[in-house]
Amino acid sequence: MFDDQRKVTSLPITRRRLILAGGASALAAACAPAATPGPSATGAATATAKATATVAVKPLKIGILLPFTKVYAELGNSMKRSADLYLKQNGNKLGGRPVAAPIYEDEANDPAVGAQKTQKFIEQDQVDVMMGIVATPIAYAVRNAIDAAKLIFIETNAGGNALTRATTDCKPSCKSQYIFRSSFSAWQISNPIGTYFATKKGVKEAFTFVADYGFGTESAADFTNAFQAAGGKVTGALKAPLGSADFAPFVTQLKAQPTKDIYSFFSGTDAINYIKAWNQLGMSAAGYRMNGAGFLTEQDVLKEVKDLANGAVTSLFWAVTLDNPENKAFVDAYQKEYNLLPDVFAVQQWDGMKALDLALQATKGDTSNKEAFIAALVAAKFNSPRGPFSFDKDTHNVIQDIYIREVRTQGGSTVNTVVDKIPSVTDPGK
Amino acid sequence: MSPDVAIQQALNGISFGALLFILAAGLSLIFGMMDVVNLAHGAFYMLGAYVTLTLVQRTGQFWPALVLAPLVVGLLGLVVEPLLLRRLRGRHLDQVLLTIGVSLVIADVIGLTFGREIRSIPLPAGLDRSIEIGGSDYPVYRLFVIASGVAMAAVLAAVHRRTQLGALIRAGVDDAPMLAALGVDIDRLFARTFAVGAALAGLAGVFAAPVFGIFPGMDVDALIYSLIVVVVGGLGTLTGAMVGAGLVGPADTFGKVLFPQFALALIFAIMAFVLLLRPTGLLGRVRPAR
Repeated sequence: MFDDQRKVTSLPITRRRLILAGGASALAAACAPAATPGPSATGAATATAKATATVAVKPLKIGILLPFTKVYAELGNSMKRSADLYLKQNGNKLGGRPVAAPIYEDEANDPAVGAQKTQKFIEQDQVDVMMGIVATPIAYAVRNAIDAAKLIFIETNAGGNALTRATTDCKPSCKSQYIFRSSFSAWQISNPIGTYFATKKGVKEAFTFVADYGFGTESAADFTNAFQAAGGKVTGALKAPLGSADFAPFVTQLKAQPTKDIYSFFSGTDAINYIKAWNQLGMSAAGYRMNGAGFLTEQDVLKEVKDLANGAVTSLFWAVTLDNPENKAFVDAYQKEYNLLPDVFAVQQWDGMKALDLALQATKGDTSNKEAFIAALVAAKFNSPRGPFSFDKDTHNVIQDIYIREVRTQGGSTVNTVVDKIPSVTDPGK
Repeated sequence: MSPDVAIQQALNGISFGALLFILAAGLSLIFGMMDVVNLAHGAFYMLGAYVTLTLVQRTGQFWPALVLAPLVVGLLGLVVEPLLLRRLRGRHLDQVLLTIGVSLVIADVIGLTFGREIRSIPLPAGLDRSIEIGGSDYPVYRLFVIASGVAMAAVLAAVHRRTQLGALIRAGVDDAPMLAALGVDIDRLFARTFAVGAALAGLAGVFAAPVFGIFPGMDVDALIYSLIVVVVGGLGTLTGAMVGAGLVGPADTFGKVLFPQFALALIFAIMAFVLLLRPTGLLGRVRPAR
């Protein structure tokens, strides 16, 4: 039913189509019983929904906005797998309330598309909760619409600092009482490692080299501030345009300067090309050390570069090797279901689902009282695969431990090995 | 920038230029002969890279890809031209639109087959070393790319000037209808030209795969760069592609490190400047309207 409507309305509207769409929605409204689950809910959910229809529990509607095309498609797929697995494990119920099959939409890594799909969630689907969004510019672009619609939104990736901060005139974005973030802020993965380097690791000088866009610039600034505040000195900075195919020119420049410790923020293709260029130009042999925010050496990168990344030190809130019972259970379940190792994006989505689950338990499945539901989310505390998880009551950004990891190859596989931990890292919120 | 670093950056720029030449030569060839800006060129490049990935995964060998990937992509070109483009001959804009469609189909089929993760292959054995140039290590593979670009330029120039096929291509570029009137099977010539152009894109994909990574979206990057090269150098001529690539490669490299804020703007500025002074590109010719 939703599928039909979506197909009709996503086409360019001609007069005939408009009439058709009107007809279709009228028909849909006429045929819809009070408690119809989504189109592809499993048998279990359908049964539950029917059983509880008498007590008028409408299944919870979750709208999840992820990239399923363009560069971040694989991140979107990973997060979808995680959300589906969580629901499957919990019999398609959260906090005792049946959940309709999530409505997935493709944001196509485009703020305009993201804004349009968010409107669809708000007006057409009237979802109870929204989740997802990978790229920071899209999260910034939909912030005001979500705030105005008083829609509960759990951000499960985009790490731009401003989304959970008080900023002047709300530029480029600012916190909202309706927005929670289960992933991270740029500050959390860049600032603590700066302090760690200057103090525990005893690094005196560092050089920053990051991707030239909002997130990369924020990451370099957060690292620089922390490193210098703790007594270190940043001797210079270099930026590479996002999606630079050829990293040799930049690495040649790095090699032409004397500071050996390089702090970097890159991810995906950029990270792979950077690490390969680093090796081809013999940087490690010349005494240079690669460090950075954790996405530089996440699994999507390591599985392609393998031991070329050995020795790189990065900070992140999770590692697949993390030794705690929740992580073991999560990794095992994910691997069993999909025959794949989970990545950090899957963990972010998983924790978003878990927080939602706990909050619904507290409100007995009710999302209509927004104040109570927000309070329940703020109160949600649990042990995540990443360690202790809770939301900051002021900013609604996650409070989490940050791990310092070093890339090592052991027994033929290259992984991030945790070497140190910085507990309860909280974003400053301004 | 010290002289040593300048030498290294120049080599970086020239090797990028060499790759761009192989890529853009195919685009230029097809345009010169058929008057079609083939916007599926980037997709052909991407296909070449994915064929390389498959070979390396299956056999562990890189070298066969240098022959097999252009062959596969060339065969695809040999099918696409008669099957699709020929039906729209003479309707140039429709043909361009059609090539966009072909590129979308190729990119999506690749996405469905190989997944949308980023892939990477190691440098081929024997070329994964570095040698000392200008007081610092320089990767041998990039020198190999430079040598290959120069060799390809020599081979293409020889074919162009010395062989019968070259003579037919030159004649076809000048006036295809007249060539047909003289009894040359123009359909076959077009199909072959299109196949050779596509194969060159595939070959560029092989050279790029170990250095630039293999991922959805690589087709668009390649297409943009090759369009810039042919616009600067002049569409439809081999020397134009050489000059364009020789200019854009180093300009892009030095632009990135000297004026990082304007890196992309720099090559577009060069393009705009060339277009202002010589609207047909540096070595382009004024073509009679057909």
